[in-house]
Amino acid sequence: MKTLVLGLGNPILSDDGVGLRIAEELEGRVDQQEVTVMETSVAGLSLLDMLAGYDKAIMIDAVQTVGGQAGRIYRLDPEALDFTRHAASPHDVNFATALELGKRLGLPLPREIVIFAVEVADASTFSEECTPEVKQAIPVCAKMIIQELGGGPDA
Amino acid sequence: MKRITIDPITRLEGHGKIEIFLNDEGDVENAYLQIPELRGFEKFCEGRPVEEMPRITPRICGVCPGAHHMASTKATDAVYHVDPPAAAKKLRELFYCAHMIHSHIAHFYALAAPDFVMGPTADPAQRNILGVISKVGLEVGGEVIKHRAYAQDIQATIGGKATHPVCGLPGGMSKAITDEERRDFEEKAKSCVEFGKFSLKLFDDLVLANKEYLDLITGDIYTMKSYYMGMVDANNRVNFYEGDIRVVDPDGKEAAKFKAADYLEHIAEHTEPWSYLKFPFLRKVGWKGFTEGNDSGVYRVSPLARLNVADGMATPLAQEEYERMYQTLGGKPVHATLAFHWARLVELLYAAERLLELCQDKEITSPEVRTIPTATPDEGVGVVEAPRGTLFHHYKTDEKGIVTKVNLIVATAHNYPAMNMSIKKAAQGLIEKGKEATEGLLNMVEMAFRAYDPCMACATHTLPGQMPLEVVIHNSKGEVVERLSQHLHSEPLEIRVAVLHKGTGE
Repeated sequence: MKTLVLGLGNPILSDDGVGLRIAEELEGRVDQQEVTVMETSVAGLSLLDMLAGYDKAIMIDAVQTVGGQAGRIYRLDPEALDFTRHAASPHDVNFATALELGKRLGLPLPREIVIFAVEVADASTFSEECTPEVKQAIPVCAKMIIQELGGGPDA
Repeated sequence: MKRITIDPITRLEGHGKIEIFLNDEGDVENAYLQIPELRGFEKFCEGRPVEEMPRITPRICGVCPGAHHMASTKATDAVYHVDPPAAAKKLRELFYCAHMIHSHIAHFYALAAPDFVMGPTADPAQRNILGVISKVGLEVGGEVIKHRAYAQDIQATIGGKATHPVCGLPGGMSKAITDEERRDFEEKAKSCVEFGKFSLKLFDDLVLANKEYLDLITGDIYTMKSYYMGMVDANNRVNFYEGDIRVVDPDGKEAAKFKAADYLEHIAEHTEPWSYLKFPFLRKVGWKGFTEGNDSGVYRVSPLARLNVADGMATPLAQEEYERMYQTLGGKPVHATLAFHWARLVELLYAAERLLELCQDKEITSPEVRTIPTATPDEGVGVVEAPRGTLFHHYKTDEKGIVTKVNLIVATAHNYPAMNMSIKKAAQGLIEKGKEATEGLLNMVEMAFRAYDPCMACATHTLPGQMPLEVVIHNSKGEVVERLSQHLHSEPLEIRVAVLHKGTGE
C-alpha cells in the first residue's frame, strides 16, 4: 500500500511546526519502500496535489482545543475529518472541502486518511523551537506513527 | 448596549473577529474588525544575514509566500545597492505573474464565487466551492485545479521549491531557465489566458447578467469613497513587479507618485486603544478618523485600487476588459467594494497575458541572471503588488549585512482602516431593529470585508482552524437572548478522537 506520511506546519511559529519536527524524526527511521515521508506548509486545495496517487495518508499537525493539555496526542478517525478545519490559509478552503472537491473531480486520493494531532501551547510567537511539553511529545508521536505503519491498532 | 459577536470569521480561517455593537434602539452603533497578533517577528529576524530574509518572510504567512519572497528579494537588492540583469528581472516577473494567477484563481472560485453563484443568503452548507462546482459543472472544477497546478508548476520550477521559493538573491536569481522549461511554461501560459477569458465570461453570465447582483455591487452599503494606492509602470499602467507607487484621490486625480524608498514620507500610522494593529493613512492628507472622502487620509490597496490608480492595462485583452468594467460601472474611479472581485478577474487575464509575453521573450532563457553585489550593505526598501495589495519590505543592516531592523507593511494593514469602515457601513445598512439577524444577513456583512481578500498574516496550521461561526446576541443585561451557529455539527473535537497520549504536563 503506497503510503504518504505528511508533516504539516509553519517551521518558524513555535509549536505550529510540531508536525514538521515529527516528520523529520521519522525520516531515516521509516525504511519501507512503499512509505514516503514529506513535510509541507501548504493546506486546502494545494494539499490535493500532494495526496494524489497514494493509497493511504498519515497527516501530522498541530491542534488547539478548548482547555487542551499541551503535548497531548490525538489520532483522528476518518469520520472526524468532517469536523476538522484546516487553518493554514485564510485564503483557501478547508481540508475537508478540498478533499470532497478532489473526490468529486475524480482525483486518485488516498482511500484512508489518518491524522495525528498534537495539542500545542504556543502557535503565535515566531521561533524555531517548540515549547517543552510539545517537544517531549515529538518522539512519542513518531513512535505511534511507526506502529501505525507496522499494522497497529485501526490500521 | 447589546452586542453581537462573530468569532471567528467563516472561510477566513485564523482567529479574526467581527464585533457589532447595537444601541438601545437596536440599530448598529459601531463595528470593529480585530485581527490576531503574531509576536516576535522583528526579534526573530534581527541578527540574521539579510540574504536569508527572502527565505524567512514567505513563512510568515501561508497565503502569499511568492509576494513576500519577491518584496524581500527586491529589498535585499536595495540593501546591497545592486541592479539585477534584465533577464533576472524578467524571470522574477514571470515567476510573479504565475503567483498572481495561482492566488487570484483561488480567491475567485473558492471565496468570492460562492456568494454570487449560490447567493449571499444561500444555505451555508451549499455556499462553498462544492456548491459552485455542482452548479457550474464538474469540468469547471477540473479547470480550476488544472490552472492552479500550472501556475504552481511554473513557480516551483523557477522558485526551486513547491511553495516557499528560494530563487531570489541580492542582485538576481539563483538559476536561469532552460528552453525546454520555457516551452513548457509557454503552453501553460496559453491555457491560462483562455482560462482568464473563461472566468470573465463566467462572471458576466452568473453575476453581471443578474440585476440583483449588479445592484448589490453598485449599491450604497458596499460603496466607500477613499483614496487608492498601487504600482504603475512608466506609462502609468498596472504592474505587479516594478514601478512607482501612485496614489489617486476619491475623484481619480493623482495625489502622489513616489519611489518605494520614500514610502515613509507618504504613509503614517494612527493607533487606537482597542487594536494592537496600527491604522495607516496618507501623511499629507492626515488622519481625520474613520471617514470617507477627499479630506480623509484613509486609502485602499487591492486589485480595484490598482486599476483605479492606473491609466490602463499593458496587455490587449485585459485592456478591453478594463474599459468594459469602467463603462459598466459608470467611469473611474470605481468605489464599489464588491467590484474588487471583477478587478481581480481583469488582473487574472492580465497576469496570464503578461506571463505568455515573458515566456516568448528572447532574453528569458539568458544565463545572465545575477549581478554579484560589491557595495557595503546598509538599508533598503522593496515593494511589489501582492495579490491583495501593495507590500513593502524595509530592512536595515550593519556593514556585514546582518539585519538590525525590519519593517513590513502588508496589504491587510493598508486596508485595516477601510475594512473597519466597510464592515460598519454594511452592518448599518443590513442590521435593523426588529429584523432578525439571520446567518445570511451576517454573511452579507462579512462580504464587505471578504472582498479585500484579507490575510491575517498568519500561517498557523492549527486544527481546528475554522471554529463554528457563532453569533451571540446579548440583551442589555448581558444575557444571551439568541445564538446562531454557522456549522451543522457543534460537538467538541475531543469527542471524535481517541486520546492516545495524555501529554507530559498532567
